Amino acid sequence: MGEGIGEGGPLVRGSMGIVIILALLIASLPIIMTYSTLILTSFANTIVSSPWVKFRFTLENWRLFLEGKLAPTAGVVYTPEDILRFIVNTAIVAGGVTLVVLAASVTSAYAFSRMNFFMRSGMMKLLILLHAFPGVALIVGVYAIYVFLNSYIPRDYSVYYSFIFVIIARASLEIPMAIWILKGFFDRVPWELEWATIVDGGSRLTALRTAVLPLVKPGIAAVAIFAFLAGWEDLIYVLVFLPPHEKTLATYIESQLGSGTLETTYLPVVAAAGTLYLIPTIIFFVVTQRLLLETMSGGLKG
Amino acid sequence: MVEVRLEGVTKRFGRVTAVNNVNLTFGDGEFTALLGPSGSGKSTILYLVAGIYKPSKGRIYFGDRDVTDLMPNERNIGLVFQNYALYPHMTVYDNIAFPLKLRKTPPEVIRDKVLEVAKFLHIHELLDRYPAQLSGGQQQRVALARALVKEPEVLLLDEPLSNLDALLRIKIRSELKRIQKELGVTAIYVTHDQSEALAMADKVVVINRGVIQQEAPPDTIYNEPRNVFVASFIGSPPANIFPATMDYTEEPCINLPGGTRHCVEDEYAGVLWRMKPSKVIVGFRPEHAEIVENPVDGRPVIVGEVYTVEPLGRENIVTVASEDIHLKVITPPEVRPEAGELVYVAVEKGKLMLFDPQTEVNLRYIAREWSQGG
Repeated sequence: MGEGIGEGGPLVRGSMGIVIILALLIASLPIIMTYSTLILTSFANTIVSSPWVKFRFTLENWRLFLEGKLAPTAGVVYTPEDILRFIVNTAIVAGGVTLVVLAASVTSAYAFSRMNFFMRSGMMKLLILLHAFPGVALIVGVYAIYVFLNSYIPRDYSVYYSFIFVIIARASLEIPMAIWILKGFFDRVPWELEWATIVDGGSRLTALRTAVLPLVKPGIAAVAIFAFLAGWEDLIYVLVFLPPHEKTLATYIESQLGSGTLETTYLPVVAAAGTLYLIPTIIFFVVTQRLLLETMSGGLKG
Repeated sequence: MVEVRLEGVTKRFGRVTAVNNVNLTFGDGEFTALLGPSGSGKSTILYLVAGIYKPSKGRIYFGDRDVTDLMPNERNIGLVFQNYALYPHMTVYDNIAFPLKLRKTPPEVIRDKVLEVAKFLHIHELLDRYPAQLSGGQQQRVALARALVKEPEVLLLDEPLSNLDALLRIKIRSELKRIQKELGVTAIYVTHDQSEALAMADKVVVINRGVIQQEAPPDTIYNEPRNVFVASFIGSPPANIFPATMDYTEEPCINLPGGTRHCVEDEYAGVLWRMKPSKVIVGFRPEHAEIVENPVDGRPVIVGEVYTVEPLGRENIVTVASEDIHLKVITPPEVRPEAGELVYVAVEKGKLMLFDPQTEVNLRYIAREWSQGG
């Protein structure tokens, strides 16, 4: 691997580097265009649809958005929307999905990797099948469970219930793939590390915590990112199961762009919502990417 | 320290029997090598002693204490793994301190003990590093330090040198033996490398297919292999082994390949007379034979044609083809016959080994068992 592209002589590196950067630029141009349009529009007094549009920098869109005033030109009296609440809702769903996915997939991936039990390989195959089912197709069944369980929930608690339900339902869609990813990471941790801990006086749980988990951190980070984004971006499940007034950013933006509202919506405000919607994704990625790329090696020879 | 005893221990994995009814004693303070090819069950025995595996049958004792049902952490053992199994995310210090931390030892005591063992193994300057920053030999010492820091009664080593380069291996080999003797700890050492086993161990246990083939000091293993397997496994190159027919006109005589005959006079004669086998398996070590131009003095001689000569500097390995049998002979560097040349291979007196063709057991051992049995 020492002779890789990036490690050639200075000449090769120079010209190859330019070619690679150009290729990447061209490939990502459409994405860069759409995102820069979105972000610029959120800070502009008009829709920045091309590089030649003249616009003035303003924070007005952000003010209007955060105050929940969505149709400033309509001139009708309406109650402003509680944007902060939407942000908190989104965070609750995304964070909840992350926690549930991690708790379920770390433990079951460890079991799939390390323990022998009835139908182990059959269940692994079943997981792939489960992952292949689209979440939308399952929604009728999931709704049936929702309604059935809802009849046992006191009315006062039904908002909590629907949040918990959304989190668990959305998490279950992510769990099969998460187990597969993590099992791969667990499989690469040699048995000897766990044995060493047990010989040194630890229990199997100590071994998992002190010897194994630190080594599968990159896998846990990957799974956490995917789970968080799945929760953060989810539209259908939130739309179906949360009460109409409990919006997340995704359903809020959808409601602004949905049929019949698009004409009256002031798009720069929605652009501000969209930009805010992107931020956690970026933060989460920056925070975890070091972990994702981190490889633990050494101290073990095969 | 303590003596380790296995009584009728069997370990099955599914339908595979890895260890079959093994009775074995590892002497108190002794350095015992478990030697065998891969898949022979030697590591399984080690992990049975460690408590990582549970025997399917039989009991394991540390002294008078029955440890069969005890967990590894209740046995007071130190274990060094083949891949070292250091915790990659901990510094050398934390790696060594880990077993003590799990025992809830006070921090000051941990510090003292870690420093002591690190100095003993000359790794006290590496304590802040991570395993990935160490060389193979250093990692090996850290693994040993982690095993020794809890002052174990039994030290178990699973091929600890197999990942080191050849020079380092020979250096650490002698060091390991010195450390073991200094601490007086009962040591069990698993290896597939016979030179390691012969060089380091007080006692060598040769294992094949889960069954003990021979259990003896290195000298005996080398000079008096109990059966064909031990003879063909030990030595580099291993012993020459071939079948031969017998005739018993006046004395028991072996018909050697190439048409010569050798009549047995030594301690084998008695057994041969009593058993009168029509065939035997003959063996001798390449270093116990020489290439001669004329067959002389009653030494067993085999006639053959030189097949190849491998010069190794200090010595040559000459392969001689006789009938369809290839024999290896170690010769001094100046003896370099041409390929195709007709030569005589003369075996040193008393170095010819004879094995029972059915059981493959050395006839000398059969003779001894008879004389002991009455």
